Amino acid sequence: MKRLLEWLHARTGYRAAARVMLDEPLPPGTGWFFTLGSVLLALLSIQLLTGAFLTLYYAPTPDHAYDSVRFINSQGAGTLVRGLHYYGASFLVVALAAHMLRVIAFGSYKPPREVTWLSGLALFGLILAFALTGYLLPWDQRAYWATVVTINVSKLTPFAGDIMAGVLRGGSAIGALTLTRWYSAHVIFLPAALALLVVLHLVLMRRQGISGPVRPRTGSPTPFFPAQAARDVTMILLVIIALGAFAWHGAPPLEGPADPTDATYIPRPEWYFLGLFQLLKYFPGKWEVIGAMVVPGVAAGFLALLPWIDRGLDRDPRKRRLVMTVITIGAACVIGLTTLGWHDRPMGASSPDTWSLREIGGRAFAQKLNCARCHSETGLADPLEGAPATRGPEWIAGHLADPEMIAPGLREPLAVVHEREAAAIVAYVRRASRQAYPGYPPLVETSAVVYARYCVGCHKIEGDGGTDGPDLTHVGSKHDAATLRRWIVDPELVDPDAEMPSFGDRLTEAQLDAISGYLASRK
Amino acid sequence: MPQTPESPNAGGRRRALVLFVNTTIALIGGGLSALLGAFAVGPKASAAGGRWIRAGTTSDLKPDEPVARVVAVSRVDGWYRERARETVFLVWDGDRTVRALSATCTHLGCQVRWDAKDKKFHCPCHGGVYGADGVVLDGPPPRPLDAIDARIDPADASVLVRL
Repeated sequence: MKRLLEWLHARTGYRAAARVMLDEPLPPGTGWFFTLGSVLLALLSIQLLTGAFLTLYYAPTPDHAYDSVRFINSQGAGTLVRGLHYYGASFLVVALAAHMLRVIAFGSYKPPREVTWLSGLALFGLILAFALTGYLLPWDQRAYWATVVTINVSKLTPFAGDIMAGVLRGGSAIGALTLTRWYSAHVIFLPAALALLVVLHLVLMRRQGISGPVRPRTGSPTPFFPAQAARDVTMILLVIIALGAFAWHGAPPLEGPADPTDATYIPRPEWYFLGLFQLLKYFPGKWEVIGAMVVPGVAAGFLALLPWIDRGLDRDPRKRRLVMTVITIGAACVIGLTTLGWHDRPMGASSPDTWSLREIGGRAFAQKLNCARCHSETGLADPLEGAPATRGPEWIAGHLADPEMIAPGLREPLAVVHEREAAAIVAYVRRASRQAYPGYPPLVETSAVVYARYCVGCHKIEGDGGTDGPDLTHVGSKHDAATLRRWIVDPELVDPDAEMPSFGDRLTEAQLDAISGYLASRK
Repeated sequence: MPQTPESPNAGGRRRALVLFVNTTIALIGGGLSALLGAFAVGPKASAAGGRWIRAGTTSDLKPDEPVARVVAVSRVDGWYRERARETVFLVWDGDRTVRALSATCTHLGCQVRWDAKDKKFHCPCHGGVYGADGVVLDGPPPRPLDAIDARIDPADASVLVRL
């Protein structure tokens, strides 16, 4: 081994390169605060590696993107690799913010390091561009709607809004051309730019040397390796353990397939854009451009000009009160807006893993119609649960109305399906395609059939349903089961002015018991 | 961690730090390589479906003469589901039994053709020749053409193959 390395060194002189890398002289007192850059480099490497490997299975087309990401999620190693990539993005944003705040607090952007600072800011912008483009790729609901919002925000660009939106969108609407465009940006153009900027940032860092502690200490410079390298590696190890724990804990979320017609979906961006998202709410109408462009633009401009605003030679944060105050207020605003955005989730929205009553009811209707005659493991068509739903709701509804639509002669036409039952089956199929039926008690299943067939036209539960009648999400906190049962059987007996029709002769005793008991349990 | 090269155990401390740095990097690199390697090697191929598929009726066939039929097999390829077209040769005994042969040459996977004149299968790639029952008569193929389960449904004389 030793002789092989000797031979290699004689041919390549690799040890000189290693010396250059490892013997970087560091000012005395360089410590843990200066490990953040290495942590960023490690996180970037992980993103690069996991991202490269994810392309082995990913397909950037609207027809297949969702299925391919689902497939990655279904593989054991795939869950982990996508987990590292997905949570790694969040870790990067946090580490980036920490690194930047460290540089500001230590005044490290002061001469002669202004260009290093600017290249760092450019890297920050690049990472956010990565986050934004990466997010569309799974082509799920969140991806689709976040992109709709992004592209509409870009229309606010002064003078060139439509051009900007057109460039981001590719085609005339968000679709195949948008997806390939953002995919290329995410895996080719942005990584190329990132590599160049990272090299520039590191070369400048080596050229000027790192800034070191705020007050220069006496003593001779120490080499990077091994003392500072050990600190760096310790931090990297801790960060990677934390990242691994996130990835191990669970598959990254994948919502339903993108559905441009879904009016019930409430889009929320990734947490690191929540601040910007929240900011937009405070600038209605024509003032929106202030929240979307002016405020972020002023903030970016302030950061870029920081070395020229803060011109004093002293790097001690206690002697740079003004800059530190502005930065502290700015950071507090970002954290505050993010927290507000985080908490500002619409009430009544069901958690993503709970099936809605309509979906549960749809399952019962699908069983009643005997869909499994064809849709089974050994049947003519794929089973309903676990098969990816690449078709939109219109297609599924059309297929329900006329199964022969896709395969003439093979399937027998169904009995006429009631439109509410059809809607419930569509909801069920789309849900079942991404999540196995978790199993609900018979009371809930029976109630779901009643609700999805009768109540859903006028009443909402957890955000799903009509608006003519009152929302029933928490009706159990106002009425008990007996009252609810009397009301459902004949509303006019309870209240002569009731507009709701009576259901006493349309529901069986068991159904009446179930729905009234279920509603009473909704506190 | 003050750095004082003069201290007596500086050499030992340095060695420990070097060991720590190298071990940690090796661990992180090894773990990541193992994970990405497992991911790249790929998913296990799902077991063949083995569904009975209608490949025609006996009226499409000639007794003791292989007839090529194209059947559509639904296949799951990772995230992609397709109706793959596959050629099978059906050999009917003129009565109630039918045999099916895969059209894929056992040498390197080209599609063989039935030559009705000399009553042999010929592979267009490397000169493999098979008899009507699939046995190798000439050329490089290592084994006979693969047999596929086949039966005739007595109800409507349709031929079913299991793929």
